Amino acid sequence: MLKSNVFSKKTRNNKIKKEVREVYLRDDICCGVSSCTTCESPTASSATRLTASTILVVDTNVVLHQIDLLENPAIDDVVVLSVVLDEVKNKNLSVYNRIRALCSNSLRKFYVFANKFHKDTHVEKMEKESPNDLNDRAIRVATQWYQKHLGGATRVLLVTNDRENKRKATEEGIFAETIESYVKSLEQPDLLDLVVQPASVDVNMEDIEDSRPSKRKVIYAEHKPMSEITSGLRHGIYHQGKLRVNRYNPFEAYVGSESIGDEIIIYGRTNMNRAFDGDIVAVELLPQEQWHEEKSLSIADEEEEEEDVHLAPSSADDAPRSTTPVNAADQIPVPSRPSGRVVGIIKRNWHSYCGSLDPMPMPAGSGSIAYALFVSKDRRIPKIRIQTRQLGNLLNKRIVVTVDSWDRQSRYPFGHYVRVIGDIGDRDTESEMVLIENDIDARPFTAQVLACLPPLPWSVSSEDLANPIRIDLRQIRVFSVDPPGCKDIDDALHCTALPNGNYEVGVHIADVTNFVHPGSPLDDEASKRGTSVYLVERRIDMLPKPLTEDICSLRADVERLAFSVIWEMTPEAEIISTRFSKSVIKSCAALSYVEAQARMDDSRLMDPLTTDLRNMNSLAKVMRQRRIERGALTLASAEVKFQIDTETHDPLDIGMYQIREANQMVEEFMLAANVSVAAQILQIFPVCSLLRRHPSPTREMLEPLLLTAAAVGINLDVSSSKALADSLDRAVGDDPYFNKLIRILATRCMTQAVYFCSGDLSPPEFHHYGLAAPLYTHFTSPIRRYADVFVHRLLAASLGIFQLPTIFQDRPQLTSVADNLNYRHRNAQMASRASVELHTLIYFKKRPTDTEARIVKIRSNGFIVFVPKFGIEGPVYLTSKGQKGGGEWYVDEQQQKIIKMDSSLSYSVLQTLRIHMEVVEPQPNRPKLQLTLI
Amino acid sequence: MEFVSPEGLRLDGRRPTEMRQLRAEIGVVSKADGSAMFEMGNTKVIAAVYGPREVQNKGQQINNDHALVRCEYSMANFSTGDRVRKPKGDRRSIEISLVIRQTMEACIMTHLMPRSQIDIFVQVLQADGGTRSACINAATLALADAGIPMCDLVTSCSAGYLNSTPLLDLNYIEDSAGGADVTVGILPTLDKVTLLQMDAKLPTNIFEDVMQLATEGCKAIANYIREMLAENTKQLEFRRDS
Amino acid sequence: MVGLSEGEKEFIKGGIAQDLRSDGRKRYTYRPIYVETGVIPQANGSARVRLGATDVIASVKAELGKPSALQPDKGKVALFIDCSPTAEPTFEGRGGEELSAELSSALQRCLLGSKSGAGAGIDLSSLIVVEGKVCWDLYIDGLVISSDGNLLDALGAAIKAALSNTGIPTVHVVAGASNDEQPEVDISDEEFLHFDTSGVPVIVTLTKVGKHYIVDATSEEESQMSSAVSISINRQGHICGMTKRGGSGIDPSVILDMISVANFVSRQLIEKLDSEISAAEANEEDS
Repeated sequence: MLKSNVFSKKTRNNKIKKEVREVYLRDDICCGVSSCTTCESPTASSATRLTASTILVVDTNVVLHQIDLLENPAIDDVVVLSVVLDEVKNKNLSVYNRIRALCSNSLRKFYVFANKFHKDTHVEKMEKESPNDLNDRAIRVATQWYQKHLGGATRVLLVTNDRENKRKATEEGIFAETIESYVKSLEQPDLLDLVVQPASVDVNMEDIEDSRPSKRKVIYAEHKPMSEITSGLRHGIYHQGKLRVNRYNPFEAYVGSESIGDEIIIYGRTNMNRAFDGDIVAVELLPQEQWHEEKSLSIADEEEEEEDVHLAPSSADDAPRSTTPVNAADQIPVPSRPSGRVVGIIKRNWHSYCGSLDPMPMPAGSGSIAYALFVSKDRRIPKIRIQTRQLGNLLNKRIVVTVDSWDRQSRYPFGHYVRVIGDIGDRDTESEMVLIENDIDARPFTAQVLACLPPLPWSVSSEDLANPIRIDLRQIRVFSVDPPGCKDIDDALHCTALPNGNYEVGVHIADVTNFVHPGSPLDDEASKRGTSVYLVERRIDMLPKPLTEDICSLRADVERLAFSVIWEMTPEAEIISTRFSKSVIKSCAALSYVEAQARMDDSRLMDPLTTDLRNMNSLAKVMRQRRIERGALTLASAEVKFQIDTETHDPLDIGMYQIREANQMVEEFMLAANVSVAAQILQIFPVCSLLRRHPSPTREMLEPLLLTAAAVGINLDVSSSKALADSLDRAVGDDPYFNKLIRILATRCMTQAVYFCSGDLSPPEFHHYGLAAPLYTHFTSPIRRYADVFVHRLLAASLGIFQLPTIFQDRPQLTSVADNLNYRHRNAQMASRASVELHTLIYFKKRPTDTEARIVKIRSNGFIVFVPKFGIEGPVYLTSKGQKGGGEWYVDEQQQKIIKMDSSLSYSVLQTLRIHMEVVEPQPNRPKLQLTLI
Repeated sequence: MEFVSPEGLRLDGRRPTEMRQLRAEIGVVSKADGSAMFEMGNTKVIAAVYGPREVQNKGQQINNDHALVRCEYSMANFSTGDRVRKPKGDRRSIEISLVIRQTMEACIMTHLMPRSQIDIFVQVLQADGGTRSACINAATLALADAGIPMCDLVTSCSAGYLNSTPLLDLNYIEDSAGGADVTVGILPTLDKVTLLQMDAKLPTNIFEDVMQLATEGCKAIANYIREMLAENTKQLEFRRDS
Repeated sequence: MVGLSEGEKEFIKGGIAQDLRSDGRKRYTYRPIYVETGVIPQANGSARVRLGATDVIASVKAELGKPSALQPDKGKVALFIDCSPTAEPTFEGRGGEELSAELSSALQRCLLGSKSGAGAGIDLSSLIVVEGKVCWDLYIDGLVISSDGNLLDALGAAIKAALSNTGIPTVHVVAGASNDEQPEVDISDEEFLHFDTSGVPVIVTLTKVGKHYIVDATSEEESQMSSAVSISINRQGHICGMTKRGGSGIDPSVILDMISVANFVSRQLIEKLDSEISAAEANEEDS
């Protein structure tokens, strides 16, 4: 049966267009109920079967707001209508993805019924019917159809929180209930906590906030209606952008605006006007004369939060943002950036957050409803109010909470409890927090994924050897150099002296794509994970263990498949020729960095392997030197290393990671391999290659570095990476650590390198600033990075030995893969850092320590110090919190100094001092590391 | 964008291997020697055939032993969603005219009609994807209506590849999604491919599947066209008898 | 192209002289008229009119535009006619352009009134959204699919039917835009603006063959004409436009006579057309 769907649509260029779409109505859509004998669908065998005697039809508002509840296994046998899915998709993509996941989960009984295309449930728009009413009617028609279709055997219940829809449904003889009453009927009180309260009924939520007489006072300005925002954006009155909250000062946020080509600063929660980090917002600029006062004003009415000790940042992405200097009100105005306020939220970025409840006294009578404030671990998120019936149970737990609404009258948003992670302070709980916070999937691999693995024990087969695309390099002296205890060895090297005096140098990378086939469940999973995640006490693999540690790992004395890059190099490390090939290798030694270094240093050793190492090392040195001359930056980070007790997994020792020549040697050849591969794939696939770029830092980003350097009398030239590299070389102070400190400060001013699809940018933008390379990609770690898997496929296709998967022809999809890789990569780093922070805390809990620290930033009431030995930084307060500013100290902005009023004492930036480190518990179960001056 | 839902339904409710609704009418232009209207969903075209008749412009006649086949494709101003005044003889029209002419020429037994001319005019009334195919199908019907000897019918259908699924008979939204679009024309009885066009890229193995699907579509259209012609003949017979 | 023998020519002329035309009609009888509306769903309004073997389609598309400075309170209407080669092989390539242009300007004159828009069959001020800033532009497109004479009357009827079939989404102006800028509009919830087409005239073409004139000439009859006068007349019997084709001169008194004939014929035609249109509309709604 054929129907037409006709509607008018407004196009982007303000034209009105009539659209006509065909709709084919079908009679072969199955109802999905197992007791039903009338429906027979060819796909029925795979379709979810609803079995219970009551099946639920959910309304759009229930899916949109109660998704946490729906995800609870207590709710099952649910029919999701296609009209509901479409509406959810338009309103909230993340909820849509979650409901889709439920529908495709074979363990759950959620069935999608395409009511739109079923001949009996298709509804036509009636005259003057709003789209909303039409959808509601469609839901009722479908529910009624189910009722009639299934007869009396099964009860069909419409679950809706729309009063009007419920009323009409009841009138039409449909069983309809609100989600609350349905959950109550299930008699599982815990479930009720998951039910999101509609915003209108939480008047008594006021009690928790304060009992001031001014009830329901309006706190925030109204959000402008969408039509006004669009027209405001068009006329340049408003600016659109993603709001990013300062990780270190949640009362300060930035909106990168394309329309004014600059970042707009938003000071204070009032100006942020209920926007969350990641929301797409519309911002109105404040009058220029308010650009400064606004800050001092806004900070005053917010509660002050303390800064925590944290891991020293390793790039601009995780460093505190440079803000206008402290005490701005009474300082000379520095050329300031525009500030503004949020007038509307275009797209919410609400999701679940993990954290804990603010400690509070237990209300009388257990089991009754209590209201509590939830504090997220992520400081950028404001406190969230929830109601719960199990307060006693939740108080000392880490929990997950979701935001539901935030109206103008409440200081904090409303949310609801989702689940408990575990006890606060428990290491496993805290580690899981780290994973949840960074959206890392640490679940075991599914059976489908594991089914893609080759049978074990695996060994190189005769077919592999006979394959003409694979060269046999088993006779070559290949070896690997990795950190001690490394099990996922993805790279190995060889270096053979040629008769003509040149060297043949090979980099052999695990041939992961021989086992991970595009489109397989294994590939999908790896692509989703994006990278392996390294926490202090555990590793979350991107690929299942048999691949990671055995089949792909280039271990010593076993034959393994590899993808090789082989150069002929002169002794001056000039590349004469490059070739790429799949290969079979047999590593003769898996060395650790220490072993390799020791062999090279031991002048008595003259065995062939050591000679190879020395040859390679001398080549690497030349290459490195050349790279530095080109302007590559020698950056430094304060990476720390824990020694972990194998039994308790508690940290035993902590120290800076030591970098040896051997590390640099391996790194150099990996860089060279990546560069060669990047050039090869880009040449063959100019628009669909996956590359990695590092944008040049803007002068503004380097501002804090310049300010600090100027304060200690060093002039840095940041006009190019070469100039910066040179001036960093010249920046030597009185003590040996000074140069490294400057480099660490420089590093944190840079953004991170990112993956991108070559078709999305123009060649000048491909540049990798840090490496001073025009082209770069990732090829050398396919076991632990998906980007490398991708690049392996590109390289193989460029050689004509592998067919390029279809995804490479789909630019938007390719871009989304790159975006996901960046997101995963970043999260993995954040998780590693969080894990180190967690273990630092555990370590210092038992070991109060005195150590040396350097001042890196001056504050109005103290300064931020960096502790080189442990790679952490945090605040040291000169005045106690109550009397901040106190008038006792003042800041010299130019000199970057904090000086006592009577000039008896002063501290300046980069100064060395001794501090005491100790874990304190200002509130029970909330331990934190405190730094105090000795 | 999702063009095939996880339930296996396309945006308009079809399954991936289903064609849009076909409709045809023979003899819509009474002044022409043969004519037909052909609809594939919202795509609607009219073909009119004039001839065989004396060659109008002797200069165009190249081969005296065969009939001269000419074709013109035009689109009505209102045929697309955006109203555009289309100049006659733009590049696309010329290309499609040529494709239709060559495809039809292949099945017309031109050697039976020396020194004569056959004109095929196709007019698109509504375009919603697959106009090329619809034009060829309409032209086949119009030629049959005109009683022009043909060695076989020619039928055409397109198929595409979106969301990793081969899709039969793309409509405009699917066609503009940027995926590959394979248009196939076949001689159904002789089982030969006379037209094959594709834009965008496809791996070889997938191309085979997509082309196979398009060919199946052509066969289904051929059955429909045969039915239409048989019905039309019955009508003619009936009228003659009464 | 109509190729007729001398005998055929005589037959046609003789028939007309005797008020019995070759297809059996009288001089002032129209062929049966068939109207189908909504044939082009993508358009805001459309109709197909068949008059014997003459077959035409008209469509109306509405687009938002800016009113002209001279007429800030009125919308604009543009009219184009295309002759498809399906109707006549000679229309191939640019062959139909001359006729198309002739038909377009004749229809423009007969239906849309003067350049200022005065005397148009439809109320142009109903097309205004914001005075001086936003209005609807109507694009009327006619397409000749099959031609057997009297294209002008058929197209006129098709356009009238298409206009009465037309629904334009109601729009409202989005608040917040300042005065001196182009206002932004939004579609209201699926309400449509319909035109009052009772004022749209019909066109009656009187074709002079020999001493007599006939209505609704077939192409064979047209090939024998000396001249033709097309008169557009509305319900009130007012003449809304006129155009004369064909070279030979007509006596002024004959023209007056023709007008009164046209006036008489138009009443029947309007009635017939209105009932056909409402039948077609009803039919469209049912399907």
